[in-house]
This record gives sequence, structure tokens and C-alpha cells, in this order.
Amino acid sequence: MSNVRHHAHHFDSAQAEFEASKQGLWVFLVNEVLFFSGLFVAYAIYRVGNPDLLKECHHFLNWKLGATNTAVLIGSSLTMALGVTYAQKGEQKKSANMILLTILCAFGFLVIKYIEYSHKFHDGLLPGALFHNHELTHPKAPQFFSIYFVLTGLHGIHVVGGIVVLFWIWIRTLKKEFTPEYFTPVECVGLYWHFVDLVWIYLFPLLYLAS
Amino acid sequence: MSTTTHDSGSNYLNHSKGIMSWLGTLDHKRIGLMYLWTVLVFFFIGGVAALLVRYELIAPGQTIMSADAYNKAFTYHGTIMVFMVIIPLIPAALGNFFLPLQLGAKDVAFPRLNLASYYVFISGAALAVTTLFLNGVDTGWTFYTPYSIRTGTSATWVLMGAFVMGFSSIFTGINFIVTIHKLRAPGLTWNRLPLFCWALYATSIIQVLATPVIALTVFLLTLERAFGIGIFDPKLGGDPVLFQHFFWFYSHPAVYIMIIPGMGIINEIIPVFSRKTVFGYTAMAVAIFGIALVAFVVWGHHMFVSNQSDLANFLFSLITMFVAVPTGVKVFSWVATMYKGSIHFDTPMLYAFAFLFVFTIGGLTGVFLATIASDVHLTHTYFVVAHFHYVMVGGTLMAFLGGMHYWWPKMFGRMYNETLAKWTCLLIFLGFNVTFFPQFILGSRGMPRRYYDYLPEFTELNRMSTHGSWMIGAGFMIVAIYMIYAIYKGKVANSNPWRASTLEWQTPSPPPHDNFAVTPVVTSGPYEYHD
Amino acid sequence: MSHHDSGHSKQEHHHHILPVAMAVKIWAALMVLTFTTVFVAQFDFGSLNFIVAMAVATLKAVLVCLFFMGLKYDDKQNVVIFTTSFLFLAVFMILTFSDLFFRGDVMLKKDEAFFKAASGPAKFKKPWNSTPEIVAHGKALFEAQCVTCHGAEGKGNGLAAAALNPKPRNFTAADGWKNGRKPSVIVGTLTKGLNAMPSFAALPLEDRWSLAHYVTNFGPNIDKDTPADLAKAGVDTSKDTLGAVESKSVPVEVIMERMAEDGKK
Repeated sequence: MSNVRHHAHHFDSAQAEFEASKQGLWVFLVNEVLFFSGLFVAYAIYRVGNPDLLKECHHFLNWKLGATNTAVLIGSSLTMALGVTYAQKGEQKKSANMILLTILCAFGFLVIKYIEYSHKFHDGLLPGALFHNHELTHPKAPQFFSIYFVLTGLHGIHVVGGIVVLFWIWIRTLKKEFTPEYFTPVECVGLYWHFVDLVWIYLFPLLYLAS
Repeated sequence: MSTTTHDSGSNYLNHSKGIMSWLGTLDHKRIGLMYLWTVLVFFFIGGVAALLVRYELIAPGQTIMSADAYNKAFTYHGTIMVFMVIIPLIPAALGNFFLPLQLGAKDVAFPRLNLASYYVFISGAALAVTTLFLNGVDTGWTFYTPYSIRTGTSATWVLMGAFVMGFSSIFTGINFIVTIHKLRAPGLTWNRLPLFCWALYATSIIQVLATPVIALTVFLLTLERAFGIGIFDPKLGGDPVLFQHFFWFYSHPAVYIMIIPGMGIINEIIPVFSRKTVFGYTAMAVAIFGIALVAFVVWGHHMFVSNQSDLANFLFSLITMFVAVPTGVKVFSWVATMYKGSIHFDTPMLYAFAFLFVFTIGGLTGVFLATIASDVHLTHTYFVVAHFHYVMVGGTLMAFLGGMHYWWPKMFGRMYNETLAKWTCLLIFLGFNVTFFPQFILGSRGMPRRYYDYLPEFTELNRMSTHGSWMIGAGFMIVAIYMIYAIYKGKVANSNPWRASTLEWQTPSPPPHDNFAVTPVVTSGPYEYHD
Repeated sequence: MSHHDSGHSKQEHHHHILPVAMAVKIWAALMVLTFTTVFVAQFDFGSLNFIVAMAVATLKAVLVCLFFMGLKYDDKQNVVIFTTSFLFLAVFMILTFSDLFFRGDVMLKKDEAFFKAASGPAKFKKPWNSTPEIVAHGKALFEAQCVTCHGAEGKGNGLAAAALNPKPRNFTAADGWKNGRKPSVIVGTLTKGLNAMPSFAALPLEDRWSLAHYVTNFGPNIDKDTPADLAKAGVDTSKDTLGAVESKSVPVEVIMERMAEDGKK
């Protein structure tokens, strides 16, 4: 494979194309931050407006599973970062392995989430009108669980999306499409995946840990 | 230096043939045109809805439709016009076409994302518009809760359509921001950037920051309708005013997505047709961003009577007043640019004059609405309706028409019939004022909006308004006809019929597939006119 | 070494490669911080818990952004781009809070007399009976809140009445009263609202009786409440005061009832 990378005709160089792609992803992440923002605002309103709401409700969330998921995602961020590093260095096999590990961590996250969700369904800790738990009597508990499910659910959808694009770059890495001159998709998927981790870094203490 | 070339050879229109070469194109100019035709089709549908609404209101009592049907008619008019016409109109059609050209670039940063944004747009639009054949939706385009939770109509589909269309807006925004950052021609520094590009830049930033919030809002509303999650529903312990906060956090900046590109077009037209450089170029660029910034912190002025706290009312009212400052800077600069210039009354300039007159009225009437004491009486009346039509139709649409007439010869290498264009501009201008000025009076006399009936004392003005709607309807039809005629039979235009100095005029009309045979090098500002 | 194309070197950077060892160190730091935040959460430090949790989360986020996402070594444009989003999140939150958490707290000067009169313990014995004192109290309330629509003389010709249809009640007229002119009935109308008049259920019940006594004085031939009327209004005449619960905002149930009734019309 030649060392000179081809690039799209409207860019002056492959480097320019790479920088543009990266910036495009960062602008996309801005949009993602604002997408979650409304939910954080709703969370803040219900939390500040009902001081004992979080205190009562968080007992019904499993902080151990939440903490495990945090560790899983942080680990997946490590494997993702290593996947990018190896791609940049041209070590395609190691890169592919790291990306695969990231995918497995993502699945692990979803499995733990599934376990959590099924407990909630079983205990009637559901959003809004579907709420029917008798132990938890705070009047705003249904709202808490609405926010819990929408926040973690939307995050979960982003994890699923992440698995799709991770799988895509895993296949391309196996096909040896990335070189030290061209690894843009790996870097961009990496940025997205770290963002998914970022959201969870805030979700975990906000939902699972309370004073 | 402007070079005029008369080129009948290869250009982006004949570069490749066949429907697939259009549907799968990565050329920003073709994508711009596809957006243009699609948006104009929606404009037609939304316009028919408007004519029906106005016809119902030609006399008190039921004229042609029941109250339920009327609710659906104005909801579709609003939803289609906001989401499918006026938000994408200038950025996705003219912006897509001309941003790379004005930057001296060969394309936008992400051509495939550009094409994707088009298909996302029509998918979302299709989702929303097919409900016309189902139950319809009757909530008003603002979807206020709790009614929007309870209504049995096909609101969910429209909400999902809006969700999908939002991504088209976001993709366009991402594309433009990166294009402007990374694809400017050599020598095209920030202070030589055409003001239309500055306008698109600010618009794109708003699109990226604000659109995701409406996406989340309609998503939550859909969940509310489907599962009763209780965030906005008072029956389940939620807060319906919270919905309004979420909704307007996007929808107020959205109106600036609508007007800022229009202002950008006016900024292109006035220097060219006054043969004079822009008065206060830096102030104009800063003003665009001033407007965009203020846009984000004033949304509560749509909620003065929603039982918002006095503190919020006070803050939002005060900050809203500030938007008049950068807006005033722009209006004064436009006038100052013309002062001692050599005015050419070609059609684009006529539309610019119309814009100045109409937009200023629209903007000033906003002040009455920003003032809480008067807003309490004017809100939800026709005064509000008149205000936003003055700025959206009188503002954005007139600017769009000006831009179309300015750039048509570049896009198609043909000129339209100038005499017909001038008379039609007059027809549209008069028709517009006949339609909407009476509505200020109706509103201040107490006629509520979104009502299909009214007190007999309002009949005369309503009739006048309906007659005006026929005038603008006719005007738009005439424009469509002579513009389409011009594409095929118009007089051939050279590459720079207006002797403008921005980069898009330094390449043949219509432009070649790759925009520029040789990447231009910029050595001067965009509006250096000395004749 | 990577090979760079010639071109516009203005924007040329070497793309930084995060060393494996560094990545592992950052990961370790993130794990330590996670343990810290879980550990701290086991103890009750009051509001400090939240601050610590957010501080730790932010530190973790900064590490991820700077190193894993490479912002430390990247084009500064991207840093500005990403941090801008948090600014707007803050704007969204702060201004929404300015509504949600300040409802009913800010008093404008002209309303002060009204709020002073409206709050506090029961002022009148058996407020369902009209006395000069309770009528004077009702007058103070009326002038603060009702004059805009009903007019200073209660003729329904206040400033805001111009835009209203139907017009506000003319208290000086004997007929045209939708629900009748007895004080207990007026209290009911005040509680539920009628046409353009919103519900005044947020006022203490005693104040609503005061207003009722005041406005019935405007017109001729005041209707009095019979014991049956009082019983219907939920008044226990054996007691000295009304037993109503005071709330700062209109109860949702009252609103829902009113909306349901409006819907039936």
C-alpha cells in the first residue's frame, strides 16, 4: 500500500480531510450534549423541587450493578483508546482485538442493564402511569422512574448505536483498511464511544448515589 | 476583478445525465436544487392550507369547514411552513448551492452527509405529511400539553416526522460549520468572508445547539402519549409548563435560523445594487452573532401568561429587549450602505427594499410583545400572528425571493423577465401588507388566534385580509411560472450580470461541476465596489 | 513516521498518538476516582455529597476528554466547540430554574398589601357573616387584585375589560348574575373561576369570603346566605373559623374540575 493517501477532491490534503472529519464529529457531539441536556434539566427540577425524592428512590436502584457498569464502560474506554493507538501505529491485529474487547464490554454493559431493568419491571418500578410499586410511596416516584428510564434508555440506545459502528470499524480493521496514514473512522468512532462513557460518568452518581 | 464568460459547455446541470445521477449526487449544487424543489412543493401545500384558513375567515360563522377541520388546517399550515419550508429554505437550498462557491471551495466538507440530510428531510416530511390522509393533527404547531397528550389525532406521526427532520437540520449545520472552518480559499480570511457566509455560520451554530432539544422534546411527548411517563402531564404529577420551556428553548432560536440567512442575503444584495461597500462590515458580522446569542436566552417571552414566575417573566422580557440592539445595527447599516451609493432598481434590490420596510415593522411590533404589560393583552391574538408573519414572510420569504432573483442567472445561466418580475414584486409586497396589516388591528381589538369564528365587528378587516391572501397567492404563482420559464427559455446570462465581486460570480453561469477550474486566491474584501 | 502531503500547512498538526502506558494510567485514575465516589456516597455529608460527586465526575470527564479524546493535543478549535455545549446546557438549566423555583415567591410592590392581607392566621370570627371589618378587608383585597377588570366602582368596566367578552361582572347591577348573588355562591365562583376570571383558590378561604362580602355591597338588595346555603358551601357554623387548608398555588384538582366543566360547555 502506498504511503500517500488519496483524499476527496474538495480537500487539499489527506491531513485536511482528517482534521475536517474529526471536527465534524466534535460538532456532532455538541448536538449530543444538547440532546441529553433536556433530561438533565428535568432531572434537576425534580431533584431540587423534591429534596427527599432521590433519597427515597435511589434505594430501589442497585448501586452495585451501576458501579459495575461504570467500571465496564471505563474499561471499554481504555480498550477503545488502545484500539485507536494501535491503528495509528499500524498494528492492525492489536487494534482489531481492542475494538473487539470494546464491543464485548458494550454487550456486558447491556446485559447488566437488562438485569437491572427486569428487576424494575418485576417490582413495578416503571415510568409514570405504569408505576405500581407499593413500598415506594413518594408522590413523584413515577416521575423519577420516568427520568431514570428515559435517561438510561436513551444512553442504552447510544450504546447499541456504538456497537453497530464499532462492529463496522472492526470489520474494516480486519480487512486491513486502516494504516498510519488513514485511520479517520477509528478515531471518529473512538470520539463517539468516549462520549457515551462521558454521559454515563454523570448518570451514575446522579441516579445511583445519593446523600 | 470580475471576468465575464459566456460558457455553453459543461456545467453541473449537464455533467451527468439521468435521474440516478441526481438522486445519488454528491454535488452540493444539485443537492441544493433538490432541496429547493422539494421545499417549494411543501410551500405550495402549506400555502394551500393558508388559503383555506383565510377563506374560512372571510366571514363569521362556519364558511367552508367545521371547527375541528379548522384546527387541523392551521396546525398543518404552521407545522409544514415551520419545519418543512422556512427552516430549511435558505440554508439547505441557497446555502448548499452557494456556500462552497462563495468560499472558493469545490464542495461542502461532507458531501455524503449532505445527501443523507436531504433523504432524512424527505423521510421526516413524508412521515408528517401522510397524516393528512389519516386523522390529521389539531394541536397547533406548538403541540402544547396536556392537549397534545390527549388528542386522538395522528399527532405521534407528526412528532416523529419533526424528530427525523431535525436531524436533517443538524447535519446541514455540522456540514456548514466545518466547511467554513476548513475549506476557505487561500486569502479568504475571516474579515473577507461574505456576510452571507457569516449568516450561514451563525445559523449553523444555532441549528446544532438548539435542534437536539426539540428532538428530545418531541421524543418525550411521544413517550408521554404512548406510555404516560408523566413528565408533562399534570394528571400524573408532571408539569405542562416544563413542556413549554423545552419546546421554546428550540423554537425561539429556530426563528433566528429562519431570519438570519435572510439577513445574509440582504447583505449580499444591497452592496451590489448600491455599488458601494458595506457600511460597518465588522459590526455587521458581530451583530449576526449578537442576534444569535440573544436568541438563546429569551424563549420565555412566549410564556408570559403561562403562570411562569415573575422573576422569569422579568428576566426574559428584559433580555428580549436587547435583541433590538444588534438588529438595529443591521438595519441602520443597510440604509447607510445605500446612502450615497448608486442605486440600481433591479428586482433583487426591490425585494431588499420590501424587506427593509416589512421586516422593520415586524421587528418593532415584537417590542410590544416583549413588554409584559402589553403582551398580556396581545398574546394569543392576531397581533402575534401579524408580528411573526411580518418577520417570517415579509422578512425571510422576501429575502429568499430577492436571493432567488439575484442568483437565478448564476444557477441556470438564464435571466427571467425583468418587467414581469418587478410588477410581481409589487403585487407580492402590496398583497402581503393587505393580508397582514389588518391583523395587527384585529389583534389589538381582541380577536383571538386559532379561532375559526369571530365577532361580527371583525368582519371587514378579516375580509380584507383574505383578499390580500389571494394577492400573495397569485404573486407566488406568477413568480414560479416565469422563473421556471426562464430556465428553459430565458435570455442567456453571462457569468456576472450584476458585476458583483463575491467568488460565485468569478466562475461561469451555470457553474461547472467542480465549481472553479483553478482554486481562486482572494486578495480583497467581498464588497469592494468603486463605480 | 507519517507522511504529510504538501498543502496548506497552516492547519498541519502531527496527530498525537496516545502511548499505551499513558492510556493505562488514565484508566487507573478513572477507576480510583470511581471507587472514591462510591466510597464517599456511603457517608452522609449533607449537601457536600452532591458537590463531591459532581466534582469527581467532572474530573473523570476532563481526563476522558483531555487524554482519551485527545483534546489536550488537538486543534484548540475543537476544545472551544465542545465546551460551548456545556455553556448552553447551563443557560437552559438556569433560566428554566428561574421559573420553576421562583413561582409565587417574587412579590411586586403593588401586590405587597394584597399578600400581607392574604397571609397569616384567621383574622375574623365567623367570616361567613358580614361585618364592617370584613368588608373593609375585602375592599383592600379588591383594590389590589380586582379593579383591573371589574373597575374601581365594581361596574365591570376596568381597563382590561375592553378586551374581554363576556364583560366582567357589574356588581352594581341586580340581574345577570350567572350563579346568583349570595356570598357563599360568590366564594364558589372565586374558587373555580368563571370565563376570563381565573381561579382564586390560591387565596385563603377567609379572604374569598371577605371579597364576597365587599362586592355584594355594591349592588342593591343583598342576598343573604341561609343556613342551608352555608351548609352547602361546607361551612360549619358551630365553629368560629373556617377549616380550610391554605396553599400557595391553585390546587390541580380545582383546575382539572374547571377544565372538565369548560369542556362540557
